[in-house]
Amino acid sequence: MRSDVLIVDDEPAIRRLLTGALDRSGISHLEAGTAGEALRLAASQPAPLVALLDLGLPDRDGLEIVPQLAAHGLAVIVLTARDATQEKVAALDLGADDFVTKPFDSEELLARVRSALRRKAGPLADATTREFAGGRIDRDSHRVTIGDRPVELTPREFNLLWALADRPGRVITHESLLETVWGPAHRQDLDYLRVAIRALRRKVEDDPASPRLIVNEPGVGYRVAVG
Amino acid sequence: MTQKPPANDAERFLRLAKQEQRGRLTVYLGAAPGVGKTYRMLQEAARRQDEGVDVVVGVAETHGRSETAALIEPLEVLPRQRVDHEGHRLDEFDIDAALARRPGLILVDELAHTNAPGCRHPKRWQDVAELLVAGIDVATTINIQHIESLNDVVAGFTHIRVRETVPDNILDHAEIIVVDLPPEALIERLEAGKVYLPDTAGRALANFFTPTKLAALREMALRFAARNVDRRLADQLEISGEREGYVAGDRVMVAVSPGKGGARVVRQAKRIADMFHAPWTAVVVESGSARAVRGSQREQLADNLALASSLGASLMTVAATDVGQALVDHAKELRASQIVIGKSRRSRWFEWRHGSIAQDVIRRSQGVAVHVVPLDEADERPERVRETHPYRDPLIALALVAVTVGLIQFVPREVSAGAIDLVLLVPVILAATRLRMSGALWAAAWAALAYNFFFTEPYHTFDIYSTADIITFAVLALVAGVIGALAGRIRRQAETNAGVARLNASLARFAGLMGGLSTREETAQVACAEISGLLDVETIVVAMEGGQVTVRGNGKYPSLDMVDEAAAQWALEKGEPTGRDTGTLNASDWQFHPLKTSLGIMGALGIARPLESRVIRPDDATLLASLVDQTALAHERLVLEAQARQVDTLRERDRLRGALLGSIAHDLRTPLTAVIAATEAIPAEGAYAEEVRIARAESRRLQRFLNDLLEASRIEHGTIEPSWESVDLTDVVTAVLRDLRQDRPDGRVRTTIDADCPLVRSDPLLLRHVLINLIDNALKFSPADSTVAVELACEGGEATCRVLDRGPGLPAENADLFERFHRLEGSDRVGGSGLGLWIAKNFTEAVGGTIAARNREGGGAVFALALPLDGSEGSETDA
Repeated sequence: MRSDVLIVDDEPAIRRLLTGALDRSGISHLEAGTAGEALRLAASQPAPLVALLDLGLPDRDGLEIVPQLAAHGLAVIVLTARDATQEKVAALDLGADDFVTKPFDSEELLARVRSALRRKAGPLADATTREFAGGRIDRDSHRVTIGDRPVELTPREFNLLWALADRPGRVITHESLLETVWGPAHRQDLDYLRVAIRALRRKVEDDPASPRLIVNEPGVGYRVAVG
Repeated sequence: MTQKPPANDAERFLRLAKQEQRGRLTVYLGAAPGVGKTYRMLQEAARRQDEGVDVVVGVAETHGRSETAALIEPLEVLPRQRVDHEGHRLDEFDIDAALARRPGLILVDELAHTNAPGCRHPKRWQDVAELLVAGIDVATTINIQHIESLNDVVAGFTHIRVRETVPDNILDHAEIIVVDLPPEALIERLEAGKVYLPDTAGRALANFFTPTKLAALREMALRFAARNVDRRLADQLEISGEREGYVAGDRVMVAVSPGKGGARVVRQAKRIADMFHAPWTAVVVESGSARAVRGSQREQLADNLALASSLGASLMTVAATDVGQALVDHAKELRASQIVIGKSRRSRWFEWRHGSIAQDVIRRSQGVAVHVVPLDEADERPERVRETHPYRDPLIALALVAVTVGLIQFVPREVSAGAIDLVLLVPVILAATRLRMSGALWAAAWAALAYNFFFTEPYHTFDIYSTADIITFAVLALVAGVIGALAGRIRRQAETNAGVARLNASLARFAGLMGGLSTREETAQVACAEISGLLDVETIVVAMEGGQVTVRGNGKYPSLDMVDEAAAQWALEKGEPTGRDTGTLNASDWQFHPLKTSLGIMGALGIARPLESRVIRPDDATLLASLVDQTALAHERLVLEAQARQVDTLRERDRLRGALLGSIAHDLRTPLTAVIAATEAIPAEGAYAEEVRIARAESRRLQRFLNDLLEASRIEHGTIEPSWESVDLTDVVTAVLRDLRQDRPDGRVRTTIDADCPLVRSDPLLLRHVLINLIDNALKFSPADSTVAVELACEGGEATCRVLDRGPGLPAENADLFERFHRLEGSDRVGGSGLGLWIAKNFTEAVGGTIAARNREGGGAVFALALPLDGSEGSETDA
């Protein structure tokens, strides 16, 4: 039988809390206390879909196993401290899907896990359209609709929205967005991104002053809200 | 007319303040004994006492006059100090008693008096100076001939030289009252036996009291007083800033020579300086030949310099071979407008040969007035002390030439013929390099004669026939003479330079040694040993330890006797040279030099030389001063190093404490995460609903404490370094609301955001932290059913984010709010570490912003975070 979530944490108390929350939501799970054990379980068949990974592990740095877990097809959600920006960016760049800051709110955690499970389950691979909270983007027809309202975007705004919506709900780092939309030479030109996001928000948000669709993670990147 | 640099106000006030603290000196000046100075002083004292001044008589000589004694009667008289000297008992003024008594005004008669040996100061005027420094007003008396700068002039026409003189500068700030009596009246008093004269001097002094001489003395006294008033007025104007220093920027430079006449030149210079109200400098030029001057001449030079210094001159010694040029150069450097120089009456022949320095200076100086003081030859002519036999140099020169001639004889005539004249230059050059200039010139003469005698026809006579030989002879004599003179001068210069180099080398070595020592005891020992070796003196280092003078650095002298100890203590407390050959406590065997540093007086260096008349040879004085400075610096360095080590230790301890705090906070985080997650997993319902809510709130509170502690330790360690990036403030506000779970429709926060706010360069994480603190506080301090407003606006070059609540408001508008551990009234109830606002302030300042708080109209508080808009926002063209 397939387990949905692999919990990787060396603290038994935290593991028990996580298992309790998942149990109550009816999500099946496996537990690992070390990096070695986590990799062994990730390689088992059938492999779990999502990994909840604490970065402070006794045998190895949690960041090191992010790419390997991703290679086994797991969506990795990193558990990290709020101000550990570098850690978050590094984990995302190494292939992690998302992060949850400690101390976490179990509701928020469950929401992230469900969202990741949904992405894993959905047949997104080659589709040319993406759906996100109240919106839809079609790469072939270059069309964007928010609710029922079509929105006119410049080519660059369109590319930016696509870069975000390609993996809805996941945080895309600033550098990654800049590289995709403007090219590798502009990885550090955060000004470009800020200005473009503003322009985009004016067109797609109900209230650009309190954006709900394109959400910023300070110091890390942007994500497009789902559902 | 050159102006003095803008008057320095601070300096002026400092001087004024100094004068205010100092006691005031009133001097009753008379033209001659018997004019009634003491009487007048006592009258005045009685009047002051009636005015309520605390008057005490320190010394007042009645000379048995009953009117004078009657005036003393109503005044308090300080007991005299009994001093035994060679079987005599002398009554001397008791300075310690006077200082202990601290009267408002003390009368000390006869300023020029010389104290008996064993008193603190050799001269009474030094006692008076100390009283003034202690802030006690003094009244005293003096006759005009006792004033140092007028000493010569008076001796010039009275033919009586008084030995007891008082330096002019002590009278500089005094109020001078001339006690005047017409000459005829004075002579009348003298004849009536009303003037006290010491028996021994009776006849000589009687010669003094002629109407013409008295008239001259009276005129001098009046003029001196007038000049004094003039100067005091000038000082007053300068202090009050109404006048800028010396009007014409005059400066007087005097060339000091070693002879007895040098003193006369110095006194003349002082008078000229007074006339121009100008500062003055005494310059000694050390030429090679002056260095050869030894013994009594050197001491005279030192005396002349000491005289100049006591008359208020600054001193300067320069090394040069050309005395005249050196004087002109230094006059230019000092911007002297007046040069004073002595000139002896010498024969024309002497002047033609040696030149006259005065002539030289007059010829070469431009735009400077040169005052030439005529001197007697006896005064001036330096007695050259020959170190060597007078015939030594000529004989050596003769021997050199003889050997050369002898060697030439061995060479066949046809080989040597053309070169003989050149070969004869060899002994001249040898003599020039080995002997003094005179030796070289002798060699030149011998060589010329030898050439004539041995090598010109007819041989072996001093006759000379051939024109070519005459020319060769003349050229040989000339070349030899010039070479000799040049070589001699070079050698002299080299000697002067070598002296300076030796001095510098000793100093450098000493400084190097001092730099490597690690304790004060060691420094004292090495300093003693080195200075002993360099100056050939006995040395000790003394320092104050627990109120006691202790000796260091020299095991030979474990302790000091009473006089020495008093001198050491004086040097340590007053910071001036004390003891032998100085003006204070000179009965001591030691001369103490304070080791002054910016940190205070570190100790004193004591030097002694039992068998010689002077502790320090005058030419060693500069070296000694440098050595004392170096020793003081070494002590200062040790103290500073110790302080630095202490600071390092403290810093290290602080760092450890911070690291410990950080690691504890980190270790607490993990279990706390579990606690929070667990309490939040428990549904807050049923019988234990309240307990669950408490557990949730308290664990969250604990978590805030921890975060605050971590941030505070980061701030304290200065590790807050903003990572600057382009920030959209809308993003920051939105993220904060999400963090605080206030982004939901049921949240209590209402935002008003200007979406057109430009981007700012800042650190989004620091800003988020600040806003979390401010908004969280606002939520905590206001009623649960009230809303908190967050406003973001940009105008006037600033982005402002305001957080407004309806809580109790601020207790008072004070800046303390942002200090550590400051808690608002009642905040204990809501919970807070007292660090939140302090952290917010530090983070805000780290990104160049400001934070402020005030009360809100209609109740509540407003916290405003303002950030500068530097115009570096991204271009909108890209969109």
